[in-house]
Amino acid sequence: MQAFDFASYARFKWSDMALILRSAGLTMEVTLLSLAMGTLLGMLLGLQRCSKNRAVKFLPLIVMEPLRNSPLIVQLFLIYYGLPSLGFHIKAMPAALATLSLNTAAFFAVLVHSSILAIPGAQWETGYALGFNKFQIYVHIIARQAVRLLIPQAITLYISQLQCSSLVSFVSLKDLTKAGQVVAQKTLLPFLIYGIVAGIYFALSYPLARLARYLEKRTGFTI
Amino acid sequence: MSYTLNFRVLMQYSGLFIDGVLLTLKICAGSLIIGFLLGSILAVMRQSGSRLARGFAAVWVEVLRNTPFLIQLFFFYYGLPQLGIYVDALTVAIIALGINSSAPNCEVIRSGLMAVKTGYYEASAALGFSRFQTFLHVVLPISLRLAFKPLTSNFVNLVLTSSVCYGITLMEIMGVAKTVSARSNRPFEIYLILLAAYCLFTYAVSFIAKAIDRKIEIKL
Repeated sequence: MQAFDFASYARFKWSDMALILRSAGLTMEVTLLSLAMGTLLGMLLGLQRCSKNRAVKFLPLIVMEPLRNSPLIVQLFLIYYGLPSLGFHIKAMPAALATLSLNTAAFFAVLVHSSILAIPGAQWETGYALGFNKFQIYVHIIARQAVRLLIPQAITLYISQLQCSSLVSFVSLKDLTKAGQVVAQKTLLPFLIYGIVAGIYFALSYPLARLARYLEKRTGFTI
Repeated sequence: MSYTLNFRVLMQYSGLFIDGVLLTLKICAGSLIIGFLLGSILAVMRQSGSRLARGFAAVWVEVLRNTPFLIQLFFFYYGLPQLGIYVDALTVAIIALGINSSAPNCEVIRSGLMAVKTGYYEASAALGFSRFQTFLHVVLPISLRLAFKPLTSNFVNLVLTSSVCYGITLMEIMGVAKTVSARSNRPFEIYLILLAAYCLFTYAVSFIAKAIDRKIEIKL
């Protein structure tokens, strides 16, 4: 039972822990940047999905459907390995950011669309009856409620995208997962190292999960 | 730079691709069964009277949902030999993916269990069913029917996640794609095909699931 041979744990130096913690920074960076871009793009696509015009409504699906129905890793490799053969040379970091952002956007758009649809249609009629125009109804009536529905679900999406960011280690980015691999191979203590790495991911995402649950309860209505 | 897509050159690797698809299906089938059974057990534990069982299931689900699958996979693949347990990559992949999918399955089955109203329990008690009989003949069938649709969407997620198993050198479809793209130097075509194949599979599964769900749907 080598895992409980504590003398071997001396192989795990403070410098290794420092490497793991530093790489957690890169994981955060990739996640936060792609979430920010994905949210903006997803908001646009989601609002477009709410349009009455059939063409406008349909167009975002061309992007969203492949992104939602294929593995993230395939999308990442298509961009990172595939685009250069078409003549677009792309480095690992932009490729990872582009993939994660697009992926987030596709899922976020669905959340935006469903949150807006969840607001009863009668509220639109009420708005018109009060003399509001379409924009005013959106801002003053629909958006406020839709956002309250949206936020807990968005946080849940963000958590899953944080986990997905571990896949960027496949394109040789030195994120938390890659650092874990490097240190585990060096110290030959996979049980301990992957445990620590999992612990860091957990520490980053569990508070968010609690926040999502709290907000969901507090808003009072759930879909 | 002009580039013409050439899918023809990939034909010579079709044998490899078929092997890859078969291995992916094997992984998915195995972990589907493990994930469903574990998920059901966890769901029952979360509803049980014992605080210990409830707490265990809650921790299990939270840990799995808040850590990346890739790390879980590495943990089992590289960590288990350290405990003196030696298993091959395929077994590790099936077990890890099964355990991973038990978490969302647990949530879904649990909400199915919660949707069964007390009236059903009272009716079964009136008919002289024991607690176990009530669970087996009344509660379980109803809640599984209610959970069927979300379970299939969990299955779709499982299939998409299975591509990560390429990380432990398994030659499932993703691993094959990586190898072939290095050999043939046609990465764009290969990953495009793979993307389309996964989409088609996903659509097929959800189409079939919808058809079945329409048959077994019940309104409570």
